[in-house]
Amino acid sequence: MKEFSVNIQEYIESGKLELFLLGELNEREREEVIAMAKAHPEIQQELDSLEEAMFSLDELTGVEPSIQTKEKIFATLEEDFQEKKISTPTAAPKETKTVKMTPWKPFAVAASLLAVLASAAAIYFAGKFYETDQKFVALQQEQTVLADNLNQVKQEFEQTDSRLDRLVAGDFRRIEMVGESFGMQKDAKVDVFWDQSQQEVFIAVNRLNSLSASFDYQLWAIGPDGPVGIGIVDPSQPFSLQQMNAVAEAGAFAITIEPKGGSESPTLEKLVVLGEVA
Amino acid sequence: MEEKELIQGLRERDRKTVEYLYEKYSRALFGVILRIISDRDLAEEVFHDAFVKITQKIDSYDESKGRLYTWMANICRNSAIDKLRSKEISQSSRTNTIDDFVYGLEGGAQTQEKIDGIGVKELMDQLNTDQKFIIEYIYFQGYTHSEIAEEFDIPLGTVKSRLRAAHQVLKKNIERI
Repeated sequence: MKEFSVNIQEYIESGKLELFLLGELNEREREEVIAMAKAHPEIQQELDSLEEAMFSLDELTGVEPSIQTKEKIFATLEEDFQEKKISTPTAAPKETKTVKMTPWKPFAVAASLLAVLASAAAIYFAGKFYETDQKFVALQQEQTVLADNLNQVKQEFEQTDSRLDRLVAGDFRRIEMVGESFGMQKDAKVDVFWDQSQQEVFIAVNRLNSLSASFDYQLWAIGPDGPVGIGIVDPSQPFSLQQMNAVAEAGAFAITIEPKGGSESPTLEKLVVLGEVA
Repeated sequence: MEEKELIQGLRERDRKTVEYLYEKYSRALFGVILRIISDRDLAEEVFHDAFVKITQKIDSYDESKGRLYTWMANICRNSAIDKLRSKEISQSSRTNTIDDFVYGLEGGAQTQEKIDGIGVKELMDQLNTDQKFIIEYIYFQGYTHSEIAEEFDIPLGTVKSRLRAAHQVLKKNIERI
């Protein structure tokens, strides 16, 4: 035979063996492969290992057909079994006993296992859901709080921004009020910003001690008609601008400690800071 | 069970032997069909007919012409291809690509299938583009090698050698899984 002169390795690598296994060769080619395999153990060996690999691939990619299909198949084959069983009572090969398969068992086991897994999964996910739901509510609350905070900050910012606008646009002068020469608070320091033409006054607390709840700091504009109270000063917001009442004429500004809500006229013994308009 | 005994048992129409055959090979054989026909119900139908055919035509099986699994797989493959080409089948029930197939497996509800689906994907990822192409058309779309050669204008020898190379890669990697 001519084929025998063919290099075996080349033959193995030609791809013919794969096609043989896929049933894609014509009769003549099939015969050739069979003859080659018979003549050369290497080829038979390659054929066997390829078949093994194909089976593994098929098994790996495969799935069990449904139990209904299995039942249908065995129902269809039932007649065949009966008929032959009587005529050939000779025992089946010995090993059949060891692989005795009651068909419903593996499926029952698989089904109950699946049921257990499904229940476990259901419980797990129910728990997860509850947990997630709680987290969600908590997050929603947190979000509301954050939104409120943001709103507040936004308002504060807008106020400050408009004050700053006024301050930049207006013709303000700065009057420093200090506590150095008084006994109350030596290091107290508050700045007044006054736009005389617009009669606007802002103050910025630099340093001012906090007071007990029954007292307030009151700002006074000292003009030709004596001191006029122009508002309560909040010491808790250092370096932020607080707008005070309008003032047209003033030679000096001062802050005194007054009973809560302020007084008609200043309590001079409790003068904290004073600043003269230059 | 030795292949010899198995074949003898089948020829004697022994129920236990057929049950053994089913347990051992149904998964792989159904896999061969499912690769080509993605419609599950239709694939089950084809599998039913093919498996019945295997047990009934066992007398026409010739051991000297190839091993049992090859013979059975070819019956399944051919049944699936016949079904696919018959007019009953709409284009939509074809499994079009490896990715569709793997996706189908991964989308399956059973854990076992899911794990295998991942394995197949990894396996297919080992192939280069040419090899994947060949495997896709031969295994998943039921083309013959000469149809591929004709339709995509690839020399027959090239189809063969790529198929060979793809099998070598799959073989090597299957051993690892």
